[in-house]
Formats: sequence, structure tokens, C-alpha cells
Amino acid sequence: MGNADLRDLAALSDVSFDELGGSVVAVDAHNWLYRYLTTTVKWTSDAKYTTSGGDEVANLVGLVQGLPKFFEHDLTPVFVFDGGVTELKDAEVEARREQKEKAQERLEEARERGDAVEAARLEARTQRLTAVIHETTRDFLDLLDVPYIEAPAEGEAQASYMARRGDADYVGSEDYDTLLFGAPFTLRQLTSKGDPELMDLDATLAKHDISYEQLVDIAILVGTDFNPGIKGIGPKTALKAVKEHGDLWGVLDARDLHIDHADRIRDLFLDPPVTDDYDVDLDIDPDLEAARSYVVDEWEVDADEVARGFERIEESLVQTGLDRWT
Amino acid sequence: MFKAIVSASTLRDALDSVSVLVEECKIRLNEDELAIRAVDPANVGMVDLSLEAAAFESYEADGGVIGVNLSRLEDIAGMANSGDLIQLELNEETRKLHIQIEGLSYTLALIDPDSIRQEPDIPDLDLPAEIVLEGNQMDRGIKAADMVSDHIRLRVDEEAEAFYIEAEGDTDDVDLKLTREDLIDFTSGPADSLFSLDYLKDMNKAIPSDAEVTIELGAEFPVKLHYEFGEGMGHVTYMLAPRIQSD
Repeated sequence: MGNADLRDLAALSDVSFDELGGSVVAVDAHNWLYRYLTTTVKWTSDAKYTTSGGDEVANLVGLVQGLPKFFEHDLTPVFVFDGGVTELKDAEVEARREQKEKAQERLEEARERGDAVEAARLEARTQRLTAVIHETTRDFLDLLDVPYIEAPAEGEAQASYMARRGDADYVGSEDYDTLLFGAPFTLRQLTSKGDPELMDLDATLAKHDISYEQLVDIAILVGTDFNPGIKGIGPKTALKAVKEHGDLWGVLDARDLHIDHADRIRDLFLDPPVTDDYDVDLDIDPDLEAARSYVVDEWEVDADEVARGFERIEESLVQTGLDRWT
Repeated sequence: MFKAIVSASTLRDALDSVSVLVEECKIRLNEDELAIRAVDPANVGMVDLSLEAAAFESYEADGGVIGVNLSRLEDIAGMANSGDLIQLELNEETRKLHIQIEGLSYTLALIDPDSIRQEPDIPDLDLPAEIVLEGNQMDRGIKAADMVSDHIRLRVDEEAEAFYIEAEGDTDDVDLKLTREDLIDFTSGPADSLFSLDYLKDMNKAIPSDAEVTIELGAEFPVKLHYEFGEGMGHVTYMLAPRIQSD
């Protein structure tokens, strides 16, 4: 999701978890969960995470494996779930659904051929966030007392908004779009091994000597979740053009180009639907036994599969840090 | 400028109390004392140490800061017999510490203090209970707890006027009860907290068994452990963050 071309423009640096201790991270929940569904659980059979009733609950394994990383480094995550999909994004959602259906067909073919590697690859792509995944993720976070909120629309927009207001120190997302939603600092690679990567909005703007609005205009020319972008215009060309002509309209005029709904797309980044109506309790008081029983007994996940993850959660959550008293 | 002569046992006691928590630390060479403050990487255990100038055979310093690798320095100090004197002298130009022990001369490369983790702020704690006991009493409680669990509960029973060291394992339990009569001094108050034995064991290792240990304790609060070494002129306070108690 988002446009990876923005990486060419973004100011990125490695940051150590040591420097991040004590911060609050507004995590784009779908983006985060999706990473776990597609990467962590990729090479194993889906049968392992499917209940006798046929529900896929690989998300629970992803949560148990992914959450310790926050707690062990003294980061408090606030998960932000997508609300209703923005209308303009329908085309993208539809396209993605079609891709998945195609992948599903090929997956079945691969399975028939007995091509396990291809099947595993395709299985990753056919992972979707089902209603059960939505429900069980929230239930599990409730049991662990990990805060989450529901965004009115894009989760990344809401997370970025919370970071702008100072209610979160960082946005957690793999997506470069958080720059376009105005997130001051984004942590990438929170789901990977090793140190995260810090994406800095102000440094990005300073690096190219552009305004935040101009960055959004560049992205629209290159393509976003809401529009395909203009063929033949990459980030470097777009940067040059926007600097030369001032803004998106200037570039479109000068080059005699048109982008459908350009003004609405621009507004979706500059003034997205977000809410102030959230109340986040950062003091995490988990019920570990109930959480474990939820995963293992109620949703039939193999106890061995989540034993280590729960151990890590327990260790990292029950031991307090002295900084709580300073 | 730093130039000092100190007994090997005093220096070793000082270094041991810090090395249980961190690998590297900053040493403040103040005019009237040598001071170290450090917290472990997980922010769970902290040490605050001072060694008065009077604890040294001779001591001259003007407020500089050096960074040291503790295990290196401990290894060197380990070359001395406990009655030996150790001479320390800082070469400001080379930023190296010259150490002399009975004819043995060692030049220790120092670490840039800026590359060492910042010294922590001391938590602001108002702890209601104070227990003063002998180091070996605490040692006994910790050893027993370690047989059954990886965490330990320290609590005061205000009615029974007693201090308890307890551990609950999967199958076995231990508890050590110390009444007012068993203790050197006792200020009763509402106190009950759970701690990681990994940390407490390490801290306990650094406490001389003949030392008097003052434990300041609260309810789900960090514990403060205070003791003295170097004939009362070295002071160590440990602070250890609690584990959350599940009911």
C-alpha cells in the first residue's frame, strides 16, 4: 500500500530502540497485521492457524509474536484501525481484491501441481483480513489491555493526526504515505528484525526545500493509494516540476495534464477525515491467563506455537522500569 | 587532574557494586569524592555510589569525568592482594589511566564518556517501611527464594511487626520471617512488592556479608537497598523496579 516511490524522497535514518524507550507509537493496525499475516506466517500451512470451524486466525499468532517487540523496548503501541474505506480508494480495493482472487486461482493450481514454494508464496498474497480476524484482534488487544482506536477512515491518517497533536511520539507503519498525512516521525520496520528506520517529515521537506503541500502534490503526480499517477512521471521529475511550477495545478497546466478528482485527493491528505474523539489509557494492565486461554482454548491455536511469545509478553510487561518513577 | 591511592579491597568493592548492572560507566572525579551512577540497559536496576576522599590513602581530583570498561578495571584490580595499595593516575593528554600495583604497571585506555549511556535521574521515592538487617540475613532469604522461583516478594506485616522474604514456585514455596527482634532496626509501614531475582541476586553478590543493609520498601514501588563499604566511607544505594503482582 502507499507508493514506494516516495522512498526516493524520504529522509530516512536508522534509530536504535534504546533511543526510543518510553515513547508512544500510533500503529497503523492493518498495515502492521498485514505484515505478520504475509511475512511471519508465510512459510507454514494455513491449516495450522485455522480452527475446526474453518476460521483463519493467523492474526493471533502474529499478535503474540509481534507485540513483545514493543514491550521489550518499552514502547507503548496504540493500534489504529481503518474505518470505512474512503470512496476514492474503492478502485484500489477492488483492484487488490481482483489480484487476490487471481492469486487464489493460481494457488489452487500450484497446489494441484504440488509446487509447495509457489503455493506458500501465493498463500501469503491471498491472506485477507476477515471479519473473524477483525474481531479476534480487538478481543485479544482488550485482554492484554493494549489501547486501540477506530479511525473514521484511513488508519494512517488518524495515526498521523495523533502524532501531529502530540498524543503519539511516532507513527508505526511500513507505508510512506504517513509523510503525506503529515506524520512528523514514522517508524518503519517495526515488524522486522533489527533496528527500526526513522522517517522524518521536516527533514524530508528540508532536504528538497519544499513545503508539505508540495510534497503531497509530488506524490499525487507519481501516484497514491487514491490515484494511479501520471505515466512517465517518477519522483525526481515530479519534484523538479512542482518546484518549477509551484504546485500541482501549475504542473498540470504547464504540461496540459489532467488527474481525476485531483482536488479531492489533495484534500484527503491535507485534511483527511480524523477524529479527536479518542481516549487512550497507556497504562497496560494485561490479563495474560485470559489472553492465553483465548488464543489456545477458544481459537484452537497450538499452545507450543505461542508459548515463547507469551513468555516474552509476560516478562516484558510484568517487569516495570525505574523511569516510571522519575 | 586525578591522582589517588586506594586499598585494593575498597576499589574492588566499589567496582563490583556497579559491574553487576553495567559493562561501562562514567566515573565522576569530584574534589571531595569519586561518584558513579548507572542504570542497566533495561532500566530496571540502578546504582548510585560515592566513595569519599577520606576512603583513599591519598586523593586529588578536580571534577573531571572518565569513562571505563568495568570488567577491564576489575581484572586489573584483581591482580592485587586485598592488603595491597593501588595507585591511579590520569594522563590528561593521552586520556589513559595509569595503574600501579606493587611494581606492576598497567595503562588502561579510557572510553569517551559521551559514548556511555547518560547517567539516570534518581527516582523520587517516598517509601514507608525501612528494614535494617545484616547482609547475611538477606543473603539467606535470597538463596532460599532462588531455589523455588525466579522472583521474590518482600513485604512487611504491620500487625506481626515483621519483615518477610517470600518466594512462590510452581510447586514449592519458601518464606523467611524476620521479626523486630531479629532486625537491627525496623520502621513498619505498608509495604509489599515483587522483584526479579536475577537482579536482586546480582546486587546481593556485591554486598559484603558483614555489611548492614538498609531496605526501603513500599507497596508496588521500587526498593532501595543501601549499604556502606570502605570503613563506612563508601556508600552504595541500589534501586530496583518492581514486577507487577498478578492477583
